[in-house]
Amino acid sequence: MSPPAPPPFLTALRPGAAVAFGAPAIAMGATFLAFGAAVREAGLGLGWALGASLLVYGMAGQLVLLAFAAPGVAAGGIAPAVLGATAANARFLPMAVALAPWLDGRPEGWRRWLALPFIAITPWAAAMRVLPALAPPARLPWFLGFALVSWGGAGLATVAGHLLAPLLDRGLLAALLFANPLYFALLLAAELRAVAPRRAILAGILAAPLALLLPPAWGLLATGVLGGTAAFLIGQMGARQRGRG
Amino acid sequence: MAEADLALLLTALAMLALRAAGLLVAGALRPDHPFILWASAVSQAVLAGFVALAIAVPGGLAATVPLPARLAGLAAGLLAFAALRGRLLPALGAGLAALLGVRAVLGG
Repeated sequence: MSPPAPPPFLTALRPGAAVAFGAPAIAMGATFLAFGAAVREAGLGLGWALGASLLVYGMAGQLVLLAFAAPGVAAGGIAPAVLGATAANARFLPMAVALAPWLDGRPEGWRRWLALPFIAITPWAAAMRVLPALAPPARLPWFLGFALVSWGGAGLATVAGHLLAPLLDRGLLAALLFANPLYFALLLAAELRAVAPRRAILAGILAAPLALLLPPAWGLLATGVLGGTAAFLIGQMGARQRGRG
Repeated sequence: MAEADLALLLTALAMLALRAAGLLVAGALRPDHPFILWASAVSQAVLAGFVALAIAVPGGLAATVPLPARLAGLAAGLLAFAALRGRLLPALGAGLAALLGVRAVLGG
């Protein structure tokens, strides 16, 4: 008897999409809603808000871009806006590096490029939790299912925030902005059980005060590189000692 | 093209370049390669730093929420997460409820 045919691609997207509809959708929806409202308050249009959410798709960079690009502030010029936003989202580079081997193990695999526009904190964090336990052929579809729902949800929430801005209470918007860091704090708490992530997370928190001494756009990346590298080196030294002993 | 639009376009291209560079470099490496381990540690440290700063010293509109309310939200979220054995959605709800509750008590 021949083996059963592989499920159609769309069916394979479902498990990841289902996970994205829960807490990730709420956390991202709240933050992107608040962003859409903030763009309108800054005097920029719906198209700009949607473009920033879908194409930049990283809240730290979006907020830096908005702060520099808003009319009246734009006297600072384009370069600080672009450089600041890029630095604030530079984590996409190490995140893509960490994620890539789980998307498609084959060096010649082109399919992992389908994930390109969706590499951001939320899909990355969810994928790093789930993908290692999945069978290799199920990994990329899981990621794409999750990513498409989060990305589409982020766009819809941005539009809603921009349209509803005049009706939304500023106190509520301020509270909504905390849904995102709180959600990430929970994801990190789940990672604390394993040694290597625990070390990196603690190092990141310990290094964070340094960010206050640096320009806002660069501070986060600089402390992450410092804390993450320290955690990595300590882990390598420990592994070497265990190897000798 | 308006300055804000040009800034958005250039930033969007820079984001694509960052993501593409990561995929390009890492696609051929195994998950346990030291470079991948380093990149994972840096990503986790950045995320941890982002959360720590967003709770302790937020900017803009978020800064109008008083610090005790922010800390109460974080503590309630983490406690609920531990008590409910890692269920994200109720833990998120508990955290936001605590934040709103403490802010209301403080009159913020």
